[in-house]
Amino acid sequence: MRNIYALFFFFLLWSYPGSPAVGQQLSDPLVSGEFNAIRFPEFVRQLEAQTAYRIYYQPEALDTLLVRLQVHDQPLQVVLQTALRNTSFRFAIDAERRVFVTSGTAIQPNLPDNIFTRDGAMLAAAAEAEPTPTEEEPRPAGTSELKLYEIGKKGAAPASGKVTLAGHVREAASGEPVIGAAVFVESPSTVGTTTDQFGYYALTLPAGRYTLNIRGIGIKNTRRQVQLLADGKLELEVEEDITNLKEVVIEAEKDRNVAGLQMGVEKLDIKTIRQVPTAFGETDILRVVLTLPGVKSVGEGSTGMNVRGGATDQNLILFNDATVYNPAHLFGFFSAFNPDVLKTVELYKSAVPAKYGGRLSSVLDITTRDGNKKKFSGSGGIGLMTSRLTLEGPLIKDKSAFILAGRTSYSDWLLHQIPNKTYQESSASFYDLNAHISHQINDKNAVYATGYSSRDQFKLASDTLYRYVNQTASLKWQHNFSNKLYGVLTGAYSHYRYSIKNEKNEVNASELAFGINQTNLQADFSYFRNNKHTIDFGINNIYYSVAAGSLTPIGGASLIKRDVLPREQALEHALYVSDKIDVTSRFAVSLGLRYSLFNALGPRDTYAYLPGLSKSENTITDTISHKAGASIATYHGPEYRVSVKYALSDNASVKASYNRMRQYIHMLSNTASMSPTDIWKLSDDHLRPQVGDQYSIGFYRNFKSNTIETSVETYYKAMHDFVDYKSGATLVLNHHIETDVVNAEGKAYGVEVMAKKLTGKLNGWVSYTYSRSLVRVDTGPNGDVINGGKFYPSNFDKPHDFTMIGNYRFSRRFSTSLNFTYNTGRPITLPLAKFYVGNSMRVYYSERNAYRVPDYYRADLALNIEGNHKIKKLAHGSWTLAVYNLTGRKNPYSVYYKAENGQINGYQLSIFGRPIPTITYNFKF
Amino acid sequence: MNTHVSLRVRLLVWCTLVLGLSSCIETFEPDISNAPQSFLVVDGFLNSDGVTTIRLTRSLGLKAKTPPPVEAKATIFIEEEAGQRYPLTETTAGTYVSARLQLNPARKYRLHFNTRTGREYVTDYTRAKFTPPIDEVAWEVENAGVRVLVSTHDNTNQTQYYRWDMDETWEFTSAYRSYYEYVNNKMQQRTVNIYRCWTSQPSGFIKLNTTTKLSQDVVAKYPLLTLPSTSVKLRYKYSVLVKQYAQSVEEFAYWEALRKNTENIGTLFDPLPSQLTGNIHCLTDPSELVLGFIGAYSVQEKRLFISREDLPAAWTFETGYENCVRPDTVNFINVSVSFTTANYLPLDFLEGRGYTAHYADCIDCRRRGNNTPPAFWK
Repeated sequence: MRNIYALFFFFLLWSYPGSPAVGQQLSDPLVSGEFNAIRFPEFVRQLEAQTAYRIYYQPEALDTLLVRLQVHDQPLQVVLQTALRNTSFRFAIDAERRVFVTSGTAIQPNLPDNIFTRDGAMLAAAAEAEPTPTEEEPRPAGTSELKLYEIGKKGAAPASGKVTLAGHVREAASGEPVIGAAVFVESPSTVGTTTDQFGYYALTLPAGRYTLNIRGIGIKNTRRQVQLLADGKLELEVEEDITNLKEVVIEAEKDRNVAGLQMGVEKLDIKTIRQVPTAFGETDILRVVLTLPGVKSVGEGSTGMNVRGGATDQNLILFNDATVYNPAHLFGFFSAFNPDVLKTVELYKSAVPAKYGGRLSSVLDITTRDGNKKKFSGSGGIGLMTSRLTLEGPLIKDKSAFILAGRTSYSDWLLHQIPNKTYQESSASFYDLNAHISHQINDKNAVYATGYSSRDQFKLASDTLYRYVNQTASLKWQHNFSNKLYGVLTGAYSHYRYSIKNEKNEVNASELAFGINQTNLQADFSYFRNNKHTIDFGINNIYYSVAAGSLTPIGGASLIKRDVLPREQALEHALYVSDKIDVTSRFAVSLGLRYSLFNALGPRDTYAYLPGLSKSENTITDTISHKAGASIATYHGPEYRVSVKYALSDNASVKASYNRMRQYIHMLSNTASMSPTDIWKLSDDHLRPQVGDQYSIGFYRNFKSNTIETSVETYYKAMHDFVDYKSGATLVLNHHIETDVVNAEGKAYGVEVMAKKLTGKLNGWVSYTYSRSLVRVDTGPNGDVINGGKFYPSNFDKPHDFTMIGNYRFSRRFSTSLNFTYNTGRPITLPLAKFYVGNSMRVYYSERNAYRVPDYYRADLALNIEGNHKIKKLAHGSWTLAVYNLTGRKNPYSVYYKAENGQINGYQLSIFGRPIPTITYNFKF
Repeated sequence: MNTHVSLRVRLLVWCTLVLGLSSCIETFEPDISNAPQSFLVVDGFLNSDGVTTIRLTRSLGLKAKTPPPVEAKATIFIEEEAGQRYPLTETTAGTYVSARLQLNPARKYRLHFNTRTGREYVTDYTRAKFTPPIDEVAWEVENAGVRVLVSTHDNTNQTQYYRWDMDETWEFTSAYRSYYEYVNNKMQQRTVNIYRCWTSQPSGFIKLNTTTKLSQDVVAKYPLLTLPSTSVKLRYKYSVLVKQYAQSVEEFAYWEALRKNTENIGTLFDPLPSQLTGNIHCLTDPSELVLGFIGAYSVQEKRLFISREDLPAAWTFETGYENCVRPDTVNFINVSVSFTTANYLPLDFLEGRGYTAHYADCIDCRRRGNNTPPAFWK
């Protein structure tokens, strides 16, 4: 038979699946016949007799194949497909009616169009054909700026003339997806999109020739020439922008500020975060998030965020889609996320996408890197308090990668070096571990798995041991149904627990514990209907299980009575759909609706109270038993998410948004900052869900070809039924917590002004915020009124806030950063006078939060020194020298009063009350 | 477990650790100059069965060391709603007492007064209550300490809200007994006891309980006080006078708020203090804040004694004089110089050498109490 070895060798350079489309272009002669277990060569002979095709194959391989087939007036292709089904043989047909039957992979009958270019870059995978499961190599990627990529086949364009181009943007060196990169064409009109969390993009354009621009954080700006013929895929590989020090980039696309529909969102990438000096020289994402306009914290060294006047429990913190309940280590001096594995941090302050829900104020979406898919590498850092190490590399080259990271403190060791018994009896330590695996199964399917575990333990000059643990795991399966539709199925699990152990006195030895488990199952879909509509929809289910608190004796001698609060359980479901509509090139609207349903479930006993009276132990009228799985309370309601954008010009736009959020889980804390002893409580028959409405409007203007961004955003927020506390509330081990909390009303409003310069030797941002956050408690019965039922400032009401983050780059290797922060002191309730009744001294306090602690200001300076930029060396190192609180300002962290000799004296505790120099060494190999 | 206070302690340690023992703590003196300098304080209650004593004082700045200034020469009377007035007369400055009165439980009463400067004040009208007698004040040994318990009941279910005050008295001795005194440049046998004394103080605790949850108006063994097993108060003999008051719901809430404010003095980590709203109003200037709550009720008292012999034999007590080291010796030659001031006193004669001696703070118990037992002591 005919020999095709030479051809075969040639075609092995690139393999390509059988393309039925080719056959369709010819007027196909049809084949009929009954092939009853005939040998393949005979089968070929009969086919060649009926058609004008010539069939080439390897006789050694195919001589023994028996064909059993009955066909009637079928095209040759179908006949061959049927005949070769369930065998390892593939076939390909070229334009000259030659059929090549091969083993394993089908050959590519046409030459790759760039096979003769100098860099030998691979061709664009331009076809709508289905990938075969046997395909070993990933899809070829567009890497050349000069080459013209043809997408789709001529004549295959849909009748509408509109063509959808989709694919992934990946880093060429590591194969990691690039998130939030802008992919857009500028002419004839600007049409663009941003890559999602998988680096996926989809653009719908009229068929034609375009220059596709790709811009993003940490990648070199690049472009591709495309000829759009029909729907197709173009995988884009882009080069990483290696120079770490080049610029502070806050947003992926330079013109996103103006052109994007989204408002009230801040995006930080890890490079920006690294440049901001911190107290311990440790890169800390939460600390940087706190420098953004609209984000505040009650005190230094606390990671609890207050976003636009919301409470610390109103932020949904997602770590690769798993909820994190305590994002801090060691009282909040460190954030719980290892900077080396992070990729981006996105904070939604308003116009929260319908996909997210369950918290009133904000969503902080933290994503990790996928790991290097091309080669094994590592990085790490050595600091004064902690050290960390990250390893990453491919499991299967270009298809799957892992990343493993660990971080630990050695404050324990430091403590024990101090020649003081108190310190030697103390301990303070933490660690966190991250593991992430990503695997691209094929073009249509990818899976991602993340595990996270952190643990804190401290015992400082006391006999009480505090311990808390955060654990999360998430598993994601991404499936592309077509260029226009993809879905992600996510399962996530979060666990948080703390315990406070006291063992010194065996009579009182006991452990106080609290824990919460959350299991999520959600399906999210994105449908790029066309140029004008992008539709997101999905379903989200959460199961909560809360171990509300327990006090257990330790050891036989302990006299502590065991006290365990019943476990709380609940289900939260949500359905959402949103449509992003580009009405005209200037006007865009996003309409979203989320409907959430919450069900508090038994088994649990709840109490009934006398109506009209303040709930207290004294007004309990009845105990209601709920059986396992029985509903204790059900709440549900719609959540509206609307935003509009109108572009005034290419450089200016106005945006407005309205959104409603509902929150069914509440953090109970009678301390103003987040503390490890905070309790999370689910809504039940007494505690209503929190509902918040936010209206915001903003003006955005870019200058100097988008290198300077300015924005003014203003907002008004109303919050209903958020949790406030009666005076002197007891929260720990309270069997009837509803007697100590009240449902409060809140309102917040403010203006945020920001200017950013993103490029150049001098870059950074300046922001000023005027905002108020007010609370009112007057809905309850008389005893529950606070400050006479008037609005009063919340704990985190800090009207004036000014932040400056500045970087100046002297050279590629030296750069400096200077931070400056000023804000109004937080409100405080002060003792005003002392008086005597019944011969005992008593203290008279002001109205709640009627006074303020002194204003806060701080300046930090950092110097970054990069190692030399030689390509070949063992490890790339960099040094960061920083001084935190340069002026040594004693900002009060805590204020307290003590009665001493009949006087009442006030004291302030400042933790970072003087300049703190730090040095950190970071390395990468 | 007060985790918040201890959290602060921990932070302090952490702070000193991190910053190498630099001073993290400074005095905090906020500007509260816009707050009124001094509030009128009305202390007492309308005794529904006996003598009403009202003290008018003024509040003090937090730093003040002086006793509170009194509001003297006020015109003050108890007023029955649409009825009679009962005047109070000033005994010592700022203290006003009534005649022995028997108020009508069916009527409402209030306090009405005008200060010397002519400002007029009234309290809310309140129904006169009668406090049921205390059934028992008992004590028990629990958790290596002594607990004082109160029991009472009201068959008519009228009381429901109770408040208690305690006055504690105990016997104690100074560190060393002095047998000699140096008077008029002459050493002589001491005649007056300065070794054994008695001292009294209000407990300061606000104790409240309510029986609204119970089917009967019964308080059974409600713990009022806890004394650790090492307490100096238990060393010889201890006594506590428990005073019981029937409260209205409003007054109960007032004292509850005051109690919570007293237990924690405002830190950022402590529970939020509450602002007190009493029931006294200034008619001349309705915006003026007056501190205090004046209810109308009677008082019931019962006294308890606890002797050393009744307590576990193994208990050892603090003396309150732990800082007093061993006595010195004063040679004869130095006697006249050493004992000229009242701050240094001789103890005993030391054959051939002189006198043992110590500071008066360690010897003279009158510096901490009274050297004669109170009239009720037994």
